[in-house]
This record gives sequence, C-alpha cells and structure tokens, in this order.
Amino acid sequence: MFLSRTTAALTAQALQGTSFEKHPERILVVLELSGGNDGLNTVVPHADAAYYRARPRIGIPAKEVLKVSDTFGFHPSMVGFERLYKDGRMAVVHGCGYDHPSLSHFSSMSYWHTGVPNAGEPLGWLGRLADDHLDPHSRNQIVNIGTSQSLAVRSAKHSPLVFDDPSRFRREGTDAEKRVLGQFGADASAGGANATLDFLTTTARNAADSSDFVRQASSVYRTPVDYGIGGAFGGGLQRVAALISAGMKTRLYYVTYQGNAFDTHVQQGDVHARLLMYTADAVRAFLDDIARLGRGNDVAVMMFTEFGRRVEENGSLGTDHGTAGPMFLFSTHDRIKGGFYGRPPSLTDLDDGNLKMTTDFRSVYATAIKEWLGYDDTDVVLKGRFDALGAFA
Amino acid sequence: MAGRLRLAVWIVAGSATLGAALGAAPSSSPWVDNLSPIAPTDWNADRAAHLLERAGFGGTPEDIARLAALTPQKAVDSLVDYERVDDSGARAFEESGVWDRGMDPFPPSRADAVRQAREHGEALGVKALPEGSPRRLQPVVDKFFYGLRANTIETQRLGVWWANRMLTTKRPLEEKLTLFWHGHFATGDAKVRDYRMMLRQNEMLRRNAEGALGALLVGILKDPAMLVYLDNGENVKAHPNENFGRELLELFTMGVGHYTERDVREAARAFTGWTNDVLDFRFDQAQHDFGEKTFLGKTGPLDGTDIIDRILAQEATGEFVAAKIYRYFVRDDISPALKTEFGRSFKAGGYQLKPLLKRIFLSKDFYSDASVATQIKSPVVLVISTYRKLGLRELPTIPDFGRLTGALGQTLFDPPNVAGWAGGRTWITPATLMQRGNLFRDVLFVDPKTFRAPDRLMPPTYARVGDNLAKGMNVTEATKEGTGDAESNAQVDRDEDYNTRYASYRGYLAAFERTKPIPRHVADVSLVSMVTAAHADTPEAVVDHFARRFLNVPLPAKNRAAFVAFFQGKSVTDESALRELLYLVLSAPEYQLS
Repeated sequence: MFLSRTTAALTAQALQGTSFEKHPERILVVLELSGGNDGLNTVVPHADAAYYRARPRIGIPAKEVLKVSDTFGFHPSMVGFERLYKDGRMAVVHGCGYDHPSLSHFSSMSYWHTGVPNAGEPLGWLGRLADDHLDPHSRNQIVNIGTSQSLAVRSAKHSPLVFDDPSRFRREGTDAEKRVLGQFGADASAGGANATLDFLTTTARNAADSSDFVRQASSVYRTPVDYGIGGAFGGGLQRVAALISAGMKTRLYYVTYQGNAFDTHVQQGDVHARLLMYTADAVRAFLDDIARLGRGNDVAVMMFTEFGRRVEENGSLGTDHGTAGPMFLFSTHDRIKGGFYGRPPSLTDLDDGNLKMTTDFRSVYATAIKEWLGYDDTDVVLKGRFDALGAFA
Repeated sequence: MAGRLRLAVWIVAGSATLGAALGAAPSSSPWVDNLSPIAPTDWNADRAAHLLERAGFGGTPEDIARLAALTPQKAVDSLVDYERVDDSGARAFEESGVWDRGMDPFPPSRADAVRQAREHGEALGVKALPEGSPRRLQPVVDKFFYGLRANTIETQRLGVWWANRMLTTKRPLEEKLTLFWHGHFATGDAKVRDYRMMLRQNEMLRRNAEGALGALLVGILKDPAMLVYLDNGENVKAHPNENFGRELLELFTMGVGHYTERDVREAARAFTGWTNDVLDFRFDQAQHDFGEKTFLGKTGPLDGTDIIDRILAQEATGEFVAAKIYRYFVRDDISPALKTEFGRSFKAGGYQLKPLLKRIFLSKDFYSDASVATQIKSPVVLVISTYRKLGLRELPTIPDFGRLTGALGQTLFDPPNVAGWAGGRTWITPATLMQRGNLFRDVLFVDPKTFRAPDRLMPPTYARVGDNLAKGMNVTEATKEGTGDAESNAQVDRDEDYNTRYASYRGYLAAFERTKPIPRHVADVSLVSMVTAAHADTPEAVVDHFARRFLNVPLPAKNRAAFVAFFQGKSVTDESALRELLYLVLSAPEYQLS
C-alpha cells in the first residue's frame, strides 16, 4: 500500500517534470494559536523558584503540574499533551522567537506567517514553500481551514483552498441554474484591466473545481475519536482528517485557533485552562484519528503562537504581551524523536521583563521543511540559514 | 482646462512632492491620483451610482437618477451634509429588559460566579440553596448562563436593528461611517458580554461619525464597551495593563513604526484609573498614576487626554487615519503622495472628517478606473446594498441577517479581533465566494415553514438535555455526553455542586422566555413589477435591466448569452423564473465588485 502510493507519486512527478521528492506522501499540518499563548503556564518550569516569584498568584502550583521531567511539565488541563509526550509522539522546543521581537499581535503574527521578521515580505512561508517545491498545476496542494485566508499560505503560484463549513461549500440551485453557475470562472485569466475581477474569476474556478470533493469527503467521514468540546479548532482538525481519509493530495494544511483567543490579559486562570484543554484534546484526538486511518507515519503537526507573554503576571491576574515561547512538533513514535529541544530561556536574565529567545523559530520551520518534508534548500524558502533540530527520525 | 485645474490643486495643496508624484505617475488614466474636482460636464448616472455605492449602500435607478440630476458638488453635499436630512423616522432599539438587579457587574466566568456564590452564599442576585442541598449552586449557575444567552440574543436583535437602519435611513453615509468606525474601533460583544454597552458605543460612534477625530478618540477611550474589551478596567497604577495603550497607538491612531515600546508603557500609565461603573465612565483617582511620564518626547504628569493631544500632534496620525478612510471609501492602495497630502490636510483642518470626505468624493481620483468597481463588498454591504437595489423598505428577517453575513465572515457587534475586519480580498475564499451567491437563493426562494429562528435555537447538545429529561431521565443521566477520552467532556460532565450542562439548558429556556422575538418576514419583492416598470419584455431586455440595476461592471458577453439562453421561453410575468434569473446574476463574480 505504502509502496504503491509512493510509486504512483513518483510516476506523477516524472510525468510533470517536477523535482525529485524524498517523501511525496508526507503531510505537514500547521496549527496557529492566535492571541499570544502564555508559554510559561503551558510548559511550566515547576522547579524554577523565579517562575513562582514572578507569578505568585497565577503560577501553576508544582503539585498540580503534569510533570514530564524534573524541570518541566504541562498545565494540569493538558492531559492530552501529557499522554502524547509520554508516548514519545511529541517534541517541545524551548524559547522560540526572533531578534527584535514585536509585541504587537498583528506585526508579530505577520512575521511568523511570512517567516521574515521585521520586513515587509508579501508571501507566506508555506506559500513560498509550495511555490518552490509543489506543482502549481496540481490543485489544492495547500488547504487552509477558516473563514479567511492566512498570510502564512499566501503564494505566488498556488491558490490555497480555504473553507470553513464543508456542507455549505456548494452552489445551490436547480440543475439548469447550476449549469449556468458552473461556467463562472471557466475562462479565468490574469492580466485583465480589473485585477480584482481577475482575482474573483480565478477564485470562482478554484471553487467550482474543488467543492464537490471536499463536501463529499466531509459528509461521509465518521470517526469514533472524541475531539472534545473545543468547537471550531477541533472541528477544523476533524476536517483535515476527513480530507486525508478521502485521499486528498494536499501536502500542507493550516488550521487556526481563531479570534485572538489566547490573549489573556485578565483573570487568565480559568479561560487559559479551558483553551489549553481544548487544544490538547483536539491535537491528541487528531493524531489518534490519523493513526486510526493508517496514515500516522505520513503526518506531522507543528504548533505555534505569535509570542509568549511577559514573565511577570500583571495586576489583573493575567499576563501582557511578551516574546519567546515554546513550539510543538508531533508525529508518531516512529517518526519523531520525542523530548525537549533547545535551551530553556532564563527567567531572571530578561530583556525589559521579557524572555530572551533561545531558538529562532525558523529553525523549527527548517526542521519541518528539511527533516520532515525532505527539502534540503531551507535557506531559499526561509531567506536565511537556519539549522534543523534533528527532531525527526 | 484640466491641466489648469490640476495646477490649482497643487498650489492649494502646497505640496511640491504631490505635484511631482502626480506628474510622474505612469498611470494609464490621467484621473488616477488626481485630486481636482470632477467637472459638472463629466457627471453622469454611472458616476452618481458609484458615489451612492461608496458613500452609501447603493440604490434603485430612481435614487441614482436623483443624484445624477444634481451637480457633483450638490450630489456630494447631499450625502455628506446629512445632518440637514430629517431622520425623525429612525426607530430606536427596543430593549427586552433582560438585565435583572444583581447581575452587575457580570462575573467574568462561570467559575468566578461559583466562587462568589461559595464565598457569599449568593451571586448575580441569586441565592445558593442551603448547605447540604443537592446541587446547591445550581440557581446561580443557571442565572449565569441565562445572562450569557439573553445577552447574546439581545445583541442579535441589536444587529438586526442596525441592519434595518442601514437599509432604511435617509442618511446612508451616516451608517456607512458608523460601520467604518465600528471596524476601526473594533469592539466585540463576545468579550464585552453586555449589549447595553454595545448599543451605547454604537450611538456614540454615530453621534461623532462625521465630527473631529479628537472627539471620537475621547469618546471611544471613555467608552465602557471599549474599556472592557481592552481590559482597561484592570489597568491600575501598581500593574499597568498595556492592552489599551498599545492598540490606541497601533490600530486607532498612528500605526506601527511611529512609537517605541516605552511610549506604549507610558501611555498605559497615563490611562491607569480610566475605568467604568458598568455603563458609565469613571475616573478612579486611587488607581491613577499621577507620576511623571515621557510620551512621544514630551515629559510631565501626563494623563489620558494629554496622550490624545500628543497623538493628534503627530503627522503619522493624520496619515494613518486618512489612509484608512481612503481605503474604505476609495480603493485598497493609496499612493504615497495622496497619503501625505490627505494626512497633512486632515491634520491641518483639525481632523474634521467632512472636508476630507468631500474632497475624496469630489476628486477625479475617486471616479478613476483604478477606483470604480475595484472594491470587494463587505458581507454587510453586499446584503444591504442588494436589498436597497431591490427597493426594499424593511429588512427581511427570513433568512436571518446575522446568519447571512456571519457565514461570510462579518457579524455586526462581533469583529474577529481588535484590528477589525481585514476587508478587501480577505473576504473572498473559494467557499465564501460560492456562499455569497447561495445566500440570495435563500432570500429569493425562502420557505418560511422550514425556517428556524437563530434567536430561538438551542444547540443540539442542550436540546438533547431537554429531550432526555422529557424521557424521564434524571439530571445526571440527561446531561452525559462524550466518550470519555477528551478531558473537556469529562470536565463538563462533572456533577457536584451544580451541573453545567443543565444550567446551560435552563439558561437557554429562560433567555427565550424573556427576550422579545425578532419579527420574522420574507423580502417584500416583486420582480414582475420591477421589470414591467422598466418595460423589459424580452429575455435580452430583462437580463440587461438586471445587469444595469445590480452590476457595477458590464456583463461579459458570454455570461449575458448564458443568462439570455436560460430565460429563453420563460415569461416576464413569471415571478419564479425572474427570481431564478436574478439569482444567477447575483451569483456572478462581477457582483462582488463595488
């Protein structure tokens, strides 16, 4: 089964004349936690007195932490992550950030999206990755679950498939109406006098081409796996599972925990616990679900947020915008070398109250690009040299 | 003549760079970036339609003809000087009266309500049951969920009220501007959780929509909804909370790159103690930091209003806000020369909106090819402008307005985050583009019998609780969900001092009971009358009428032929056939263009 899929993909490559693929069957799923997740209360340094000094009221008591090492453990609501970690299906990278960090949600998120901090790069890092390595004539190489397209997937050559509710991803109407509607975008082309109209007709064609497959895949998909009650985030991951289950050729998936949810300035305890629980439930369920489908070894997940939060708690039982935070990589026990990577940032040697990053986040991107997807020229996509971490077997 | 007019503008503008940039522009159209006013001889129905589309929500051919009959100056004045237009017919929002004594201040979370009840024996104006009673905190948790649900329904009603106002107002620019400011000073009820605050903010924005930026800033920075949304109630002397100060600089006034992190922190200090007593602004002296601060180069015991003054003294503020207004009303990209010029004149004129708007709406640039039919309609504008072009006098509520626009990514009173709606091409994905057509099928072929009102809809998880109780199960059995793997389901299934799922169910029931229902009716439209009045009696004539009435760009020949073929053999007195045809026209990619 595995061999035949690989052979088929290789044959397809040879026919299309695209470059050699080491791992044409591999899929990368990128998860974004929007709002700036509080990394210190997610991966808790439970043996560090400085942590409890800085967070006398909102620090997670050591006895409640789900400890996975002498020095670190997960927030008590992240039962799902504890299990993934202990099963060797998860890598945690300490202190991810970039030089001259922005404390603005929108600037910082755009830097993580483009992979080029403090610059006006117009395309997303996943978009550029697809431009360099994936065949633009092969549709739907990138899928973005959401109501709007993320900058991370903005591409020069690919038109990412973006949708939220698959059941509504269709044209309504009688057969006669649909025949007329099906023609919209049929002669789409760029270079007309009205660039906005070109964009619309191209999108219309993309929609007509893909909607049937996506809707079918989602409607027949059933899973016994419990994704929890987190709503849209778990739902988004289920949609990815449905497309993988249906054999969609997509290589890059992007799912967002939307609405700036992790922006916990105030009374963060309960709400942060809930967010982390939903997140851990959904990720754990997704990985179990993919394993159930027999595709576990073909899928890796990367999770990030635009910044961590200030080390010291604020006056409102919350935390303000900060800098570095942990990133997460997941796959199966066979594929990922579980454990901690990078150096934990000091909680006392700070930059104006903020953590000094210890791992450039693009090293983690490079790990996904090179070690997982098998493309060696990470410096082209990332516009600079970043060493991979050795996290994948 | 045109050359002399442009020269005059440069002199008035007093900007050599502007002149140079305009002269050097390699534009295909001499009107692009040209700020000289459009001449009466260039005025026609197409341009009047463009003006009404952008400065309002579009209109019927009759509305457009009225504007076209005026001079451009008078047409623009009739829209911008809207305070002269009688709006005594505008209806006020009718509150249901869901907020009981004891519900203020509303607890930030269910867990917090429970904590209060454990400590004080009551919360939200409701007493806990005596010690030892089963589920003794249930009444408090019921009330908490009632508050959440009732507020959500009131906010939905508020959205319908506002949408109806956009549709029926005789001052369309007033509502278009209020919508602009709602996106600019984005505040969402999902976090504020108080429709009363959202209503007051909406009224404040409308009142100041066309005044001076300074008054708007003071209004928004003292606005309870905004204070709650950006956590400024928690911004206290000992621990300044930076959310408010940061968004003020980054999103409301100057944009990234014109201030330092230190400025953010100093601004946060200056706004310490700006808080609210539920619906009223309050200055809390004890929490205000009266110490010396340095903000944007000025040092002193600065307070919030000093910060606003300092911000208004920056050139970056004029340029940032003027450019955003330009993007909203004209097109996505503003040239550096225009940005400098609009920024300069906006600031020099005391940040008065009216002169800026009039200059924009009269400029040749506004009517250039780069501007006309190059914007993508926001979901709210898409729906409202369609209703206006149909000539509707009352907002259809079947299908539900909030659901229609929400499915496309825009819900009134609930922007996605503090940056508001990103707009432009971000509205369009393959899925939303299809959905933008589908929604008009819902409008034109609605079946009221299968319609389920979202303000009376209980999510399945909670409806199941009711079904289970009706079957005779006890509360514990009736509220079980999940297979047990997910921690979150295990947590909600917990059933000790109270049962969360049961409380949520009861909260819905009480909220349905106490909120006024949204009156439901379908679009009152007759396409037979419309085409008869237009004397369109052949398939070609009907297609052309629809295209002219609804589209802002010419219908491509291929599409026109397909539409004509579709209507061939059908009668212009067949309402259903006309509706099918109109649905096709409104589903065309071209229809998304404003």
